[in-house]
Amino acid sequence: MINRRDVMLGGLAGAAAFGFGRVNPDFLVNSAFAAEGKALRFLGAEALSGNWDPTTHTNLGQLIVEGFVFGYLTRAPMKPDKPDELIFELAESMTPIDASTMEVKLRKGVKFHDGTPFTAADVKATYEYGCQPDRPAQWYPGLVTIDVVDDFTCRINTKAHAYPAALYYYLSSFLPIMSAKDIANKAQLSARMNGTGPYKYVEQKGDTTVLTANADFFLGAPKIPGVEYHFVGDTTTRTLSLLNGSADIIERLEQEQVETISKDARFNIHKAVSVENKYLFFRCSKKPFDDPRIRLAACHSIDRKQVLEVLGVSGTYSKAHISPVKFGYTEVADYPEFDPAKAQKLLAEAGFPKGQGLPELTYYTSVGFYPKTKEYAELITGMLQEQGFKVNLQTLEVAAWGNLLYDKPGGGEGNMIDCGWCTGSPEPDLVLRTHFHSSSKRITGIVDKDIDAVLDKERNATSIEERKKILQTETLPTIAKKAPALALFTSVFIHAYSKKLDGLYIYPNGMQDMTKATLA
Amino acid sequence: MLILEFLVKRIAQGLLIVFITSLIIFTLLRVVPGDPVRLIVGGMAPPDVVEKVATKMGLRDPIIVQYGRYMRGLLQGDLGQSYLRPRSGMIAAGGQYVDPTKSDMALVTDLILERLPFTLQLGGMALLFALLISFPVGIAGGLHQHRWRNALAFGMQSLFVSIPNFWLAIVLILFLSIKLKLLPALGYQGFSYVILPALVLAVEIAPFIIRTLTTSLGEVMQAPFIDEARVRGLSRRRIVYSHALRNAAVPLVNLLGIQLSTLIGGVLVIEYIFDYPGLGNLTVVSVVGRDFPVIQGIAITTSAVFVFINIIVDLVAYLIDPRVEI
Repeated sequence: MINRRDVMLGGLAGAAAFGFGRVNPDFLVNSAFAAEGKALRFLGAEALSGNWDPTTHTNLGQLIVEGFVFGYLTRAPMKPDKPDELIFELAESMTPIDASTMEVKLRKGVKFHDGTPFTAADVKATYEYGCQPDRPAQWYPGLVTIDVVDDFTCRINTKAHAYPAALYYYLSSFLPIMSAKDIANKAQLSARMNGTGPYKYVEQKGDTTVLTANADFFLGAPKIPGVEYHFVGDTTTRTLSLLNGSADIIERLEQEQVETISKDARFNIHKAVSVENKYLFFRCSKKPFDDPRIRLAACHSIDRKQVLEVLGVSGTYSKAHISPVKFGYTEVADYPEFDPAKAQKLLAEAGFPKGQGLPELTYYTSVGFYPKTKEYAELITGMLQEQGFKVNLQTLEVAAWGNLLYDKPGGGEGNMIDCGWCTGSPEPDLVLRTHFHSSSKRITGIVDKDIDAVLDKERNATSIEERKKILQTETLPTIAKKAPALALFTSVFIHAYSKKLDGLYIYPNGMQDMTKATLA
Repeated sequence: MLILEFLVKRIAQGLLIVFITSLIIFTLLRVVPGDPVRLIVGGMAPPDVVEKVATKMGLRDPIIVQYGRYMRGLLQGDLGQSYLRPRSGMIAAGGQYVDPTKSDMALVTDLILERLPFTLQLGGMALLFALLISFPVGIAGGLHQHRWRNALAFGMQSLFVSIPNFWLAIVLILFLSIKLKLLPALGYQGFSYVILPALVLAVEIAPFIIRTLTTSLGEVMQAPFIDEARVRGLSRRRIVYSHALRNAAVPLVNLLGIQLSTLIGGVLVIEYIFDYPGLGNLTVVSVVGRDFPVIQGIAITTSAVFVFINIIVDLVAYLIDPRVEI
């Protein structure tokens, strides 16, 4: 028998069936996969700082975004076969006048994204602001004065600051040019990016930085209408995003992900020897690593070939404290290689035969950013213990590790810490002077007059050729002999991207040139 | 009157819980390793700058003083400002620096209000999916004890409870999103992006609902009043839906209140894997960046939501069965 309740239920069921036929189910399926002519979506491994003033950070993700938005006097492709090559961008030429003066001729007809014309005043404002000692990025070798000759000629002048102007030759590819107007208004400078590059900053939407093509770009408007840099911390999520079409290009992949993506014909894998060396830094200002013999003994205890096996595709062998794509790289003959007998000899000479009497050493490493750090840190710990070092390995997440990274009065935390150093220029002093000169000694805390002398000598060389020779025959060998750090390997940066993306160039520090790229 | 008295009592208890939670979180955050000032000023900043900024931000005051200041703000509805996220953008670790040029930092309340709807949407969908999965299986299992339907319910709950959520998330993305291209999965560009993460969360909470339904319905069906209903000549459908289910619902409603905590825990992992822009994702990034005010704000918000839902659950349980003591 049919009752009122049955009638009501039947009515509701009928209404639902009728309604379902009228609902467009597109919102449930396939609503947001890749569409033609869309902006390129890049998934980065590092969150951005949100302060758009380029002098306030050393954040690699932000350097990549700046590469799209800002212009540079030059660009350095840093190809392994031509690591010294510079391509002129906002500069048309850079000519040494004397040891402390370099004349820069600038490109005419370039405009910032806000419409202001680019002139020598912008170079002057950028360099004289960026070189200030209170700027946290600290990429400049010292104070510098820019003499404006005319609107499109200026001179880099280091006479008053006692170092050669030639240092700015390679550095010019790494210092984004800001507008003088923005530098005069710091709030504006930090609130948004305003450059002369191929893409304009639009907005920050949550974890996504939105850029749009600059139609007035002096080398011609980019073909890809926009770029979205989106921070995704998890490597697996980045990989899955590429595979399901919600990303066009991803970075910082590990062996397993490379294998998965390689099997898929829709994607390209780009591997490039990067500008980043990974180091095991010793805290040189305190015992026992204040003794170079103990540092060298530790270096000779580590078999770097095994470390590279653990690392897989993410690293390559190198034999100096700078990457092979840096200016001046050479394979240093006396670079400390795995040699247990030598390690034992050095330990005995230092008064710690077989490591007896050495204090327990704390070794900090991080997980979550660099590939396989925990795995190879465990291997290194084992190797050191085999030679008699007592090592306490502490694996920390990135924030806690970053907290302990740098030197401080009395010496940095622990005795060893691993870290990479990645700068988008062939300029070697961005690594060598930063870490090993007593005026900086960021992580190691080393004060060594021999190292200072060879670093000053190469910096003060009067010509590029002379500087290269000093670097290769004196500076790098001395640093290898004193071993304030062991450069474990050079990182290989791995990007994976859709085959629809064509004409892309990836710099060895992860920055990208999309001015000629297309996205089908 | 009874309900009003209940509400006043439970809200007072709830405020005490939120207060205790905030105190615990506040203290814990300040004793774990990792100085947020070092992250804020950047690794290369000299120690005197670190100390100057820390003192300026009040981070070198005793914890109790800092807590008192925080609570004073909280009572005025102010959860503070993020240490790391400016109004103009977002941030995590990486050598950044607070100096006079830095734009204003984002209000924690704004950050939470921006993300909360996403998480509520995800949580709501997960609960809906969980109920859709659990009700047919659980009711069938409860009504047919010692038969295959009961075995199916038992098997299903055992299977679901054994599947790690991060593994299921990756498998579902690979299968449904990458292979079959049925559903989008990563990020958020519309409602369809909720379905996969909600399914994963549903699988996480469904076993408990199935178990409770099966057991509680099984017990109710053995009760004397069910036999009396049969004697009175009521149809089986009427007995089940009007009497048995209503009585079996009380433990289920209580369970749903507790399941909310599971959901909150699951949301952290699932939002991170799915790159879903909710509170879970914000929490992970804030913890990594030692963004104390944001972590505290989220903890207080979630504990308040938890307390609120449990008050509702108790009220609903009372309305279903007035014998329940409130």
